[in-house]
Amino acid sequence: MTGHDAAEAEAEAGAGAGAGAGAGAAPGRGGGLTRLAVALTALGGLAALGYGIDGLLSETRATNPHNSLRWLIAGVLAHDVLLVPAVALVGLLLSRAVPGPYRAVVQGALIVSGSVAAASLPLWRGYGGTPGNATVDALPYGRNLLIVLGAVWAAATVIMVFRRRRSRRSRRTGPARGM
Amino acid sequence: MDLIDRELPAPPERLRRGPFRPGAFSSRLHDPRLASLLGIWLGVAFGTAFATGLVSHFMQHPPGWLQWPSRPAWLYRLTQGVHVATGLASVPLLLAKLWTVYPRLWEWPPVRTVAHALERITIIPLIAGAIFQLATGIANIAQWYPFRFFFTVTHYWVAWITIGALVVHIATKIVVVRANVGRGRAGRAGLTDRVSQPEPAGDGLSRRGFGLAVGTAAGVITATTAGQFVPGLGGTVLLAPRRPDLGPQHLPVNRTAVAAGVLALARDPGYRLTVGGPRPFTLSAAELFALSRATVDLPITCVEGWAADATWTGVRLVDLLERAGIPAGATVRVESLETRGGYRASEVDPPHARDPRTLLATRLGGEPLDLDHGYPARLIAPNRPGVLQTKWVHRVVML
Repeated sequence: MTGHDAAEAEAEAGAGAGAGAGAGAAPGRGGGLTRLAVALTALGGLAALGYGIDGLLSETRATNPHNSLRWLIAGVLAHDVLLVPAVALVGLLLSRAVPGPYRAVVQGALIVSGSVAAASLPLWRGYGGTPGNATVDALPYGRNLLIVLGAVWAAATVIMVFRRRRSRRSRRTGPARGM
Repeated sequence: MDLIDRELPAPPERLRRGPFRPGAFSSRLHDPRLASLLGIWLGVAFGTAFATGLVSHFMQHPPGWLQWPSRPAWLYRLTQGVHVATGLASVPLLLAKLWTVYPRLWEWPPVRTVAHALERITIIPLIAGAIFQLATGIANIAQWYPFRFFFTVTHYWVAWITIGALVVHIATKIVVVRANVGRGRAGRAGLTDRVSQPEPAGDGLSRRGFGLAVGTAAGVITATTAGQFVPGLGGTVLLAPRRPDLGPQHLPVNRTAVAAGVLALARDPGYRLTVGGPRPFTLSAAELFALSRATVDLPITCVEGWAADATWTGVRLVDLLERAGIPAGATVRVESLETRGGYRASEVDPPHARDPRTLLATRLGGEPLDLDHGYPARLIAPNRPGVLQTKWVHRVVML
């Protein structure tokens, strides 16, 4: 059963059991005190959220709400509509192209590579910096990214070689050990 | 409570298509236990980033009741270094967390009750704010400004939005976390319908493998960037915007003399330092240099998360203030030769103004201060953001 199935079960339970089954929103079947604590926490969170929205919409000269709201929405859309489907597509291709014992290693190395590249994107793309100040974005980032990713994939290769040896050995000795 | 918990009519089943279909998401990584564990890590990271961000905000804009201590000298280096480091390490954590819960975006029916709808609505500022904070932070430390808002103010207000939505999220999801994490979780499985199911067999990344990969990603990001603020590790920086030993006199620069428009004024032989107070006086550059007899080791600690150690020589600020007859409880303003810009002057409260390690520095590493480091004189004080270490100082006045 996958997480999705669990969500399914929840949706069905919600439809069947009626009020109170919305596990996400209701504090659950805890005591009244827990319920109160959860409600107060949520209220505190809403207060902070409102404070932030008020600040964002008040200091308009600095925050430029029109532009900052566009960026806020664009971030969600870029993630939900572009990034996740793209990652799912890569996962689908990997499941066709990379055989079993190695696929997990390739997936892991891709997760590390993608994260490192994303966290340093403006650097290796050369987006940032200030003209006349060589101390900002001071390093050869394209080369450095290649060094880091090279090390990541070298480690991944070592793990794959290790897995290959182990699977061969277990195939040879497996029946004797009763695996 | 009845009103918000009342069942809403479900949309017709024939609309349940595409990602809304049952079984549309097959990855075994869409799992409530994985989501809970990643959520805990992400909560710690965002909580840390929020707390250290507040420190930085209130150091630069102290409310009336608050005076920051000047010691320990390394405090701001630590809080701001950790602020940027946790933000960078949050990139894989956030993306992984969102992956584990992505099918929830397409749950069916989209809303079950008013309470469910409200809970789903507060997810929007949470995800929007989280992505926004990481993206704008990464852009800002690289000094890349593709947006048309002022970074610090907007980052500050969106931090409140994000942390507020996060607290609401924790309140609504704490039952799911309790049912899926911790030793007695089996006994708490009845709290919610979202309970982790046994992991199906398969060749792809397992849940444990996913956690390992995400942790490794955060580790690699930290290992290749943290040297920008950790003492002695400056040479290990590969993917951070600054290397602490790169720059004129082996120190990075944030605002050059040319960018500040002070080139001519700073080199002017007619330069005078004016100290205003009950007994005001002025010093020529030569007199200021002759008085520069105190030497301290203090880091420049930038809001952008880098810090660099340096040896400064200059005049103790407290000696100048006492000569001018400025009382011990007074706040002073240190003014730059810059004629414009938000950081052309900074206020120095008594803890910093009276600290014997606070200098108007005229030498760096034994050499006359480089123009880009604030020649002829700059402020250097312990435990103070770099933007407030005013350069090209020509006036100190009592407020």
